[in-house]
Amino acid sequence: MIRVIVKRLLVGVLVMWGAASLIFLIVRVAPGDPATILLGPDADPAQIAELTTRLGLDQPKLTQYVHFLADVARFDFGESYRLGRPAMSEVLTRLPATAELMLTSTAIAVVFGVTLGLLAGARPGRMVDRVVSASTIALQSFPTFWVGIMLILVFALWLGVLPSADAGTPAHLVLPAVTLALPFTATVARLTRTSVAETMREPYIQTARSKGLTEPQVLLGHALRNSLIPVVTIVGLHMGGLMGGAVIVENVFAWPGLGSLIVDAVAGRDYEVVQAATFLIAGIVMLFNLVADLLYSRLDPRIKLDTVS
Amino acid sequence: MFRALRSRALTAMIILAPAALAGCTDASTGSGSGSGSGEITVAGTYPIESLDPHGPQGGGTGTQLAARELFSRLVRPKADGTLEGDLATAWKPDATATQWTFTLREGVKFSDGKAVTGADVAASFKRLIDNKGTNAANFPGYTMTATSDSEVVLKATKPDAAVPGKLATFYVVPASVATTDAAFFQKPVGSGPFTVEKFTPSQTLTLVPNKNYYAGAPKVTRVTIRKMPELAARLTALRTGEADVVWGIPDDQLGQMQSDSKLTVETVPSTAVFTMWFNSSTPALREAAVRRALWQAVDFQTIVKQLYPQTGGLADAPVSPITLGYVAQQPVTYDPNAAKAALTAAGFDFSKKLRLQFANAEFRQFNQAVVSDLAKIGVQVDLLEKEQAVFTKDLLALNWDINFQQLSNPTFDAANTLGRLYPCAAKRNGYCNPQLDQLLSAAGSSPDQAERVKLYGQASQIIWQDAVGMFPMAVKYAYAWNKRLEGFTPDPNGLPDFSTAQVRGS
Repeated sequence: MIRVIVKRLLVGVLVMWGAASLIFLIVRVAPGDPATILLGPDADPAQIAELTTRLGLDQPKLTQYVHFLADVARFDFGESYRLGRPAMSEVLTRLPATAELMLTSTAIAVVFGVTLGLLAGARPGRMVDRVVSASTIALQSFPTFWVGIMLILVFALWLGVLPSADAGTPAHLVLPAVTLALPFTATVARLTRTSVAETMREPYIQTARSKGLTEPQVLLGHALRNSLIPVVTIVGLHMGGLMGGAVIVENVFAWPGLGSLIVDAVAGRDYEVVQAATFLIAGIVMLFNLVADLLYSRLDPRIKLDTVS
Repeated sequence: MFRALRSRALTAMIILAPAALAGCTDASTGSGSGSGSGEITVAGTYPIESLDPHGPQGGGTGTQLAARELFSRLVRPKADGTLEGDLATAWKPDATATQWTFTLREGVKFSDGKAVTGADVAASFKRLIDNKGTNAANFPGYTMTATSDSEVVLKATKPDAAVPGKLATFYVVPASVATTDAAFFQKPVGSGPFTVEKFTPSQTLTLVPNKNYYAGAPKVTRVTIRKMPELAARLTALRTGEADVVWGIPDDQLGQMQSDSKLTVETVPSTAVFTMWFNSSTPALREAAVRRALWQAVDFQTIVKQLYPQTGGLADAPVSPITLGYVAQQPVTYDPNAAKAALTAAGFDFSKKLRLQFANAEFRQFNQAVVSDLAKIGVQVDLLEKEQAVFTKDLLALNWDINFQQLSNPTFDAANTLGRLYPCAAKRNGYCNPQLDQLLSAAGSSPDQAERVKLYGQASQIIWQDAVGMFPMAVKYAYAWNKRLEGFTPDPNGLPDFSTAQVRGS
């Protein structure tokens, strides 16, 4: 197993190099440049040229790329053009808030998604199944942005039980976390439902029943573990998507995380922050995928980590 | 539709009820909002990314908002656009307006207790110039020297009557601050009404009163300026009491704010004008007759009335009525038939599409209405909504035929808009008129204020009649604030000062 992990980490280095190179290219290909944005529409061409030189952006792209890679190797992502502080330290400052949001959302999605999926998959075609299926389709259909606004209106304005924005207390976390979790909950529920429904048709389930086990015992003791394998995979793979959702949710709820930092950095063409944040996110997603694969083989001993890789 | 929305809301409510109860709190008190005695929470639209008023972002809205709470200026504009002394108690030009002498207020101290001297003012000016930010462009080659602890002299390279107005964006920091000093501006020392308690760039700025402020420390105990980019969240926070002040409220939301008995709502005339330049270097728009006809083809009166009933008014000059240099012009009458006839007579090619660019989604409806009116007489326009970075790049490269911008003027002086954007050398809109250049130059250099207004009036007339652009709307800013807040004064540039505000009963 250690050998496989080391191999995966080595491949990961290549993936990180690819991600860093790609984002370096993308931010520079995008129209608009940091100097123009920083100075605003009132600037004259001479001022823009002067600031471009000061930021080192007048150098050939290849030179910039070589410097960038050398800096990345030292984990130095330069200084934010807008904030005047080291880009990676700014990203790391914001990371805990996003991590808190994502982990809470994931927990909500897994707990509610698996529960709903189990209830629906245990008896396919029954009323519970139909309600869960319809609800999950609806949850996946609503745009996150719209859901966020609706929740603010209902729980902050009409009911007055939760704050509408900002961070700092558990109450502040509820609305953004739930907004982010809802579509993910639906995904987990649908996947669990399908998986449980399939598992319940397996011969060993019939055997368990014939041994006189109650239906909850069969469901929780025998069906659940095997049904969770695809769920674990989707949770691992979904981290990237969740990060995308966090960008929107953090803006709606003024949540001081990485998502809002990235939005501002992209709009302001703050190359250094975009590069640092993307690099870090790529690393986190890669790590989650590795953990998911490890769990995968742990949940089902028949699956070897080598084949997962 | 309504039923569907209601049922969706109900579904969301049912699903969320347990979570909501788990985290249940009184939103109006549990948020750490302005509900704390003497504290104000401001829900801001724009991020405050830097507190350095001399840096590249010095001209940005966020930095300017913070700067006027933290630092003093030589002069500052009042709500009506006239100037009053801040650090300066008096100022006067020489006969040619190339040398300006400022007498400094005595006994002013920085928040660390050190006295503000002429040397600090002169060093700050040098720092502004050395940093080459946008505000530095107002003072090309200008120098400032301290003749004593209580007097500074600004020397301009050419006669400049607009110096006091331009200095409204110049802030004084201690002389010891280096040209680049990020650490200092994390918790800067200034002589403004507040000091920084905590600053998280792009998120939150928390201010506490500067006990050494020369006009007396503000009565509020704390001001928190929090970025809330989403309008619905800002307005909800205001209505729940999580925020105390919000501004830039669109017309379609104003009714709700006005019907809330806990809020005071006010709209104030601003320096901003909706400005739709024509690119006069585009072959199709080279003729003034064509540009005038296009203006005549748009029913701006109706558009403004429909979309901005409370925050807009039909403009009658290229600058707003509260700007020095404002002189009302003859309104352009909507007449699509005359417009079409004029375009046909000028040989306008109706088969060619014009490109109208703008940058902010809040202006989408307005520009769509303009495009729709032009289409009625057969003028085809591609409406291009661009991201700010792309918009700015294209704006400066003249990569557009019609450009929409909301132009505001922090100096309240037409020198900053007419004088800066319309001379041939500015190359902002492809228009070049030596006669206009002469007028603008004379208006910018005359020490006689009445003469300046007259000259800017003549310049405005040329800009208006030659239809360098269309000037459809004078903008008003809508503010809403919690009634527990007293002494709050809305600002015409969207940069309110909280030093005079206080919380009732605190």
